[in-house]
Amino acid sequence: MQDNQKGRKAAGPSETQNADLDAWKALATKELRGESLSALNIQSPEGVTIKPLYTKADTAGFAESLPGLAPFTRGPRATMFTHRPWTIRQYAGFSTAEESNAFYRKNLAAGQKGLSIAFDLATHRGYDSDHPRVRGDVGKAGVAIDSVEDMKILFDGIPLNEMSVSMTMNGAVLPIMAFYIVAAEEQGVALHQLSGTIQNDILKEYMVRNTYIYPPEPSMRIVGDIIEYSTKNMPKFNSISISGYHMQEAGADSALELAYTIADGLEYVKTALARGLDVDDFAPRLSFFFAVGMNFYMEIAKLRAARFLWNDVMQAFNPKNPQSSMLRTHCQTSGYSLTEKDPYNNVVRTTIEAMAAVFGGTQSLHTNSLDEAISLPSESAARIARNTQLIIQEETDICQTVDPFGGSYFMESLTADLVTKARSIMKEVQELGGMVHAINKGIPKLRIEESAAKKQARVDSGKDVIIGVNKYKNSSGTDSVEIRDVDNSAVRESQISRLNDVKKRRNSQAVTTALSALNIAASSGKGNLLELSVIAARHRATLGEISEALAESFGRHKAKVQSISSVYASAFGGPNMIESIRLRATEFAKKSGRRPRILVCKLGQDGHDRGAKVIATGLADLGFDVDIGPMFQTPEEAAKEAVENDVHVVGVSSQAAGHKTLVPDLIAALKKLGGEHIRIVIGGIIPSQDYEFLKKAGCSAIFGPGTPIPECAETILSFLEGKVS
Amino acid sequence: MNTDVDKLVTQIRQGSRIGLSRSITLLESTRADHRKKSEELLSILLPETGKAIRIAISGPPGVGKSSFIEALGMLLVGQTKKVAVLAIDPSSPITGGSILGDKARMEELSKSDLSFIRPSPSSGVLGGVARHTRETLLLCEAAGFDVILIETVGIGQSEVMAASMTDIFVQLHQPFSGDELQGIKKGVMELADLIVVTKADGDSFTAAEVAKNELERAVMLTRTCEGNIPKVLLTSAHKNTGISEVWTAITSLVEARNDSGSLAQKRREQSRQWLDQEIATELLSLLNSQPRFAEALEATQQRIEASGEHCGRAARALIKSLLAL
Repeated sequence: MQDNQKGRKAAGPSETQNADLDAWKALATKELRGESLSALNIQSPEGVTIKPLYTKADTAGFAESLPGLAPFTRGPRATMFTHRPWTIRQYAGFSTAEESNAFYRKNLAAGQKGLSIAFDLATHRGYDSDHPRVRGDVGKAGVAIDSVEDMKILFDGIPLNEMSVSMTMNGAVLPIMAFYIVAAEEQGVALHQLSGTIQNDILKEYMVRNTYIYPPEPSMRIVGDIIEYSTKNMPKFNSISISGYHMQEAGADSALELAYTIADGLEYVKTALARGLDVDDFAPRLSFFFAVGMNFYMEIAKLRAARFLWNDVMQAFNPKNPQSSMLRTHCQTSGYSLTEKDPYNNVVRTTIEAMAAVFGGTQSLHTNSLDEAISLPSESAARIARNTQLIIQEETDICQTVDPFGGSYFMESLTADLVTKARSIMKEVQELGGMVHAINKGIPKLRIEESAAKKQARVDSGKDVIIGVNKYKNSSGTDSVEIRDVDNSAVRESQISRLNDVKKRRNSQAVTTALSALNIAASSGKGNLLELSVIAARHRATLGEISEALAESFGRHKAKVQSISSVYASAFGGPNMIESIRLRATEFAKKSGRRPRILVCKLGQDGHDRGAKVIATGLADLGFDVDIGPMFQTPEEAAKEAVENDVHVVGVSSQAAGHKTLVPDLIAALKKLGGEHIRIVIGGIIPSQDYEFLKKAGCSAIFGPGTPIPECAETILSFLEGKVS
Repeated sequence: MNTDVDKLVTQIRQGSRIGLSRSITLLESTRADHRKKSEELLSILLPETGKAIRIAISGPPGVGKSSFIEALGMLLVGQTKKVAVLAIDPSSPITGGSILGDKARMEELSKSDLSFIRPSPSSGVLGGVARHTRETLLLCEAAGFDVILIETVGIGQSEVMAASMTDIFVQLHQPFSGDELQGIKKGVMELADLIVVTKADGDSFTAAEVAKNELERAVMLTRTCEGNIPKVLLTSAHKNTGISEVWTAITSLVEARNDSGSLAQKRREQSRQWLDQEIATELLSLLNSQPRFAEALEATQQRIEASGEHCGRAARALIKSLLAL
């Protein structure tokens, strides 16, 4: 274009540009054979219009910036990956501390640079492995940790003064931090040497992930205590990882993820400031965590916009240190985008997502394994996932220049659009009185669920394409992948025997004293809870005991279950399929005297409720009567509810691998109450290896990840119709 | 489905959960044969009903009905009373489907062996919500429940319906700052036997106290000619305060009305209302069962559209011609 301008001296630059653009429009319209150019505009889920072409005019008002300098849009470091690549940090953990430890050591030897610990759901929710509510959860979706002794085994042979350790823990964050600190002490490592990250982001738990223990207010005190303690004692440790990841996994679009994450961050800054901490003492140790999904450009723009926005909002607190307003982030590729069908496609998806994270300028990255849609990563799948990053770093030229998208008309325009979208969502939060109030009112959760239902409808109707799932299906059957299965009753037994051993050998008087000090500090509001947890941990108080000592004063949080309706059907579009199922449901109601009625429930400590919520609203839109159970039900409680409501079907949503214990328990409990006629279906993350077992146990149908809701509805109607006499 | 009436009767008498729940399904069914069976079932069990305290809990969405019912219910099961909760969830007029989330909002109470919580969809019920709620209530009484709580969404008709089958009507209110009182409907205030201000804790405690004072003044004004002025009580389901005071107020009201005979009188009137409603329902279904009805209806409709005939007159003429009155 510049050459062109030189050639036509008579015309001014803008005039020339317009003339060229007109020529392009004419040419494009010709290529479209008369169809309007605007037909090529795409409306993104965030509400941004993506045009087929961007020009300089789209970046009017765009301010140049440089990497390492405010507003950090182009990256937090001056040299970025040209000097040192991002940290390959794979999230892992399962079964016992011994098994996870062996897995970590193997990975470190194979090129992984940092550890990222996944805990099981019992640990997340503050229960020891011997608690009756967690029978199906122990060792399943992460490693079981009950006391310091488990933590010491987990890091056996891994020097904590050298290894940076990231821990995904929010609910039982106090005992876990305390166990980590005491395990380091007993390795001979001083507190100030510890480096790594604790997730400690409780606010998003109330919106999406649901692994909280206490209500929001006392939980925010815990967050404050941890920031305060680590600011004073652990200068190399990130006291919080403000996470948007789980929002996207729960169905949020990129603008919602961005806005709520920044808004959460603001809330934590205010909490720390209220402790009398100086902004420059703690803000440089706040880190972030974003998901990177399949919308390649949008995700790059999201990371750039996040850095811009964080720098912007932090100015209100007058930081002197530029690092206080510099956003550093970890990224993980999207688990939601992975499919059970044609699982090898997942390697390609993860590669594209990893590249978006890299172009967006992440500081560390987890790439998902190809089997993560169905189970815990197997060893070979974990190797491919790790190699995906190593290939980008070492085989390609991707790391040879900083922010290659900088200055792109499209990218800079998209970044600016996302900033605008996020600001308007943040304004709503502000009007509700900040994130804690917004969460108490349930607004962010509803917005995310609405976004999730729309997304599901776009996939089910084929508007969003997923290769191998709703288009180009593999007709020769599913490639089977090797699965890692954890025998959770064996893990539970070994955990219980170690727990008993720990309890036998400790000074129980000292434990009681330490726990009562914690309890008093919880109710009086005085004292640092992490400091007191460390003392209790030294005396071998268990995770369950420390959590309970606090729960006695704080209480346990009860989720307010809200639901949305008719979002699914309206986003589905083409009404034919929906209409025909509604007719079938109505026909069923005429024949049997009432509509098909289903209880959608989650069993055990698995808090991932997006699937359950989306199914519930989808089935209601298709003409079912849908009961929603409380979170964290035991099989016995779900059976009582199913019998009282006299449902036709119980639909179990399982994301955390507890189904092989929980489903047979549910069937037994139904039988005990005389509800053996109630049918059971199960959906979620279920490896095909378990299908046979579940069918034998008595499941009428199994819906793998990505099953369209209309298909679920038709299957259910089919066997219910068969039963009507 | 199991439609063996004798078996269901036995199960209900034995306090079987599944027996009660299947019987409720039977009387909610739109099928005529189910309707017949459920009438048979109720006829057998009617002499065993009438022993529970029947309470309606009403209030606008967001006032905290479920939390209040959970707190009150937990207090009662703590006293080893058997508590049944009946809740009606609105069905979508477009899809016919509904989402029933009440139990998720009464998490603790739903776990208790002494509780029975049954949410019902509002659509597709023969004879309407009123009929099945009343009959469900009777079944729960026959099954030995001591207290029956009917949760109603605070929208006009449903409150009048709930009041027409309960002994005590509890009206819930949010804390407010004082000037919103004009928005409170006079008619609803007149139904209330007891007014409860919810969320009297933390930041909203002062607003709850203001609300209490304003509501107390308001009930004085609306109840000038009658002796029963409802008490206004402060509660917090979150802090579990004020709940036992509510129960004491309910039981003393029930006692006083038992002594004066006004409760028995009220139940007789309600029974009469029930009969009136059944007659209306039966008449309508009798009309519907007339083969010529659909035809005549269509003709009348066309006449109204063509000549602008008055609907009331047209209806009367139609019924007369069909029933040969």
